[in-house]
Amino acid sequence: MISPATLHRWAYALLFAAIAALVVFLRILPTGGSAGGWPPPDFIVLAGFAWVVQRPDFVPVLLFAALLVVTELLFLRPPGVASGLAVIGLEAIRARAGLLRERGFLSEWITVGVILALMLLAERILLAVFFVDQPGFALVALGYFVNILAYPAVAALSVWGLRVRRLAPGEHASEVRLV
Amino acid sequence: MGILVFVLFAVFFLWRIDSPRVERLRAQVVDAVVPNMEWALVPVTKAVNLAEGFQSYTRLAEQNRELRRELQRMKAWKEAAVQLEEENARLLDLNNVRLDARLSYVTGRVLTDSGSPFRQSVLLNVGARDGLVDGWAAMDGLGLVGRISGVGDQTARVILLSDSSSRIPVAVQPSGQKALLSGDNSPRPPLEFLDERDAVRPGDRVVSSGDGGVFPAGLLVGAVVAGADGRLRVQLSADYSRLEFLRVLRSHPGETVHEAGGLIVMNPVLAPVAEGVPAEASAPDRASAGEGTDEAAPAGEGTDEVPPNETEAGG
Repeated sequence: MISPATLHRWAYALLFAAIAALVVFLRILPTGGSAGGWPPPDFIVLAGFAWVVQRPDFVPVLLFAALLVVTELLFLRPPGVASGLAVIGLEAIRARAGLLRERGFLSEWITVGVILALMLLAERILLAVFFVDQPGFALVALGYFVNILAYPAVAALSVWGLRVRRLAPGEHASEVRLV
Repeated sequence: MGILVFVLFAVFFLWRIDSPRVERLRAQVVDAVVPNMEWALVPVTKAVNLAEGFQSYTRLAEQNRELRRELQRMKAWKEAAVQLEEENARLLDLNNVRLDARLSYVTGRVLTDSGSPFRQSVLLNVGARDGLVDGWAAMDGLGLVGRISGVGDQTARVILLSDSSSRIPVAVQPSGQKALLSGDNSPRPPLEFLDERDAVRPGDRVVSSGDGGVFPAGLLVGAVVAGADGRLRVQLSADYSRLEFLRVLRSHPGETVHEAGGLIVMNPVLAPVAEGVPAEASAPDRASAGEGTDEAAPAGEGTDEVPPNETEAGG
């Protein structure tokens, strides 16, 4: 017998996978004209971070990594690097999740920004060490700022839209009843 | 989590060490995922295009008038083109020129975009099943679009000319300058390694040069424009905002001349000199000289007399 809390958790993991699939689907639509525009934000990573701050048990790390690897394979990126670093970033946030929730959104935003920057830096260094061709720094920096700007929207949507929010003390029982 | 990160980095190392194998895996993943999504992709794409169509309906009358005018002009051009083509065919026939017969093509529909902001590529619904091979050129109706890179069973990826990893040897037409068209993720890729910048003007035609055997020569790429940063860039002829069908040119590996000796006649009997024709007369006309060889060879073998080459072989 699966407990309702576990079921709830799995439902949200599935929802996360569905969101990722939707993002990939919208990205690969052949609508053309993508050259030269603003790079779209990295929604899967951002959503993973935003969820894990609120509910560390909602984003299984294995699922997160699997989704990222599939997107890397589909989007012609070097497989493994960015997703490995994103997993490290996710776990770093997961470890600080309690602290971040207490300190409010601004510190959460700053922490996510710093972690994204470190991920980007580590990726560039790693790729440079292995002599992999990289997109220009300006493009990547632009992508980073788009990510930072998009994070509050993603976080707001996941908290108010999808009800991924932290449990107040004693709320666990009510959630179980709800399911 | 440590193990997971280790596995992910191991995948990266594997990709770095044995790239072709992992790229094949990538092609297989794409092959498995994308055709399954086709049922959803096609209607959504159609809907998006329909919405764009509605936007343009607002200025339909104006567009119609413009198109009519353009059609008038084009008719005149078409007439000129037909006449020129006839003339060209006659002249080619007179000169006995052999055209490159290897340009047949497979047409595929564009399934998806690259999805990544840093890579410019599209996925076609033709693949190894249809005989596609890595490196073939893809064109839309007008100009060169890109090259095949990564072939699955039912899908193939086309790296567009604007991708930052795309480097195509091109020639700028009236002056014949060779250059490299290197994509940089912008809609107008710059020309690099141009010998004489002064010989190239904005508006010049850019065609593929066929150097390095990457592409067949003479495919239209676009026209030179002066970029805002002072570099010469290429306005691509292919309509990148509306890639729907692409034709992939089958290019067969061309015959190459490996050593100088292959061109010099080794055997006097098979020499391309017909009987009674002075050597000077046949030398300049290479086409007829080639036919001469073909005729001379069976004649030499068929005769009962002992030709000099047999005596040479015996000795």
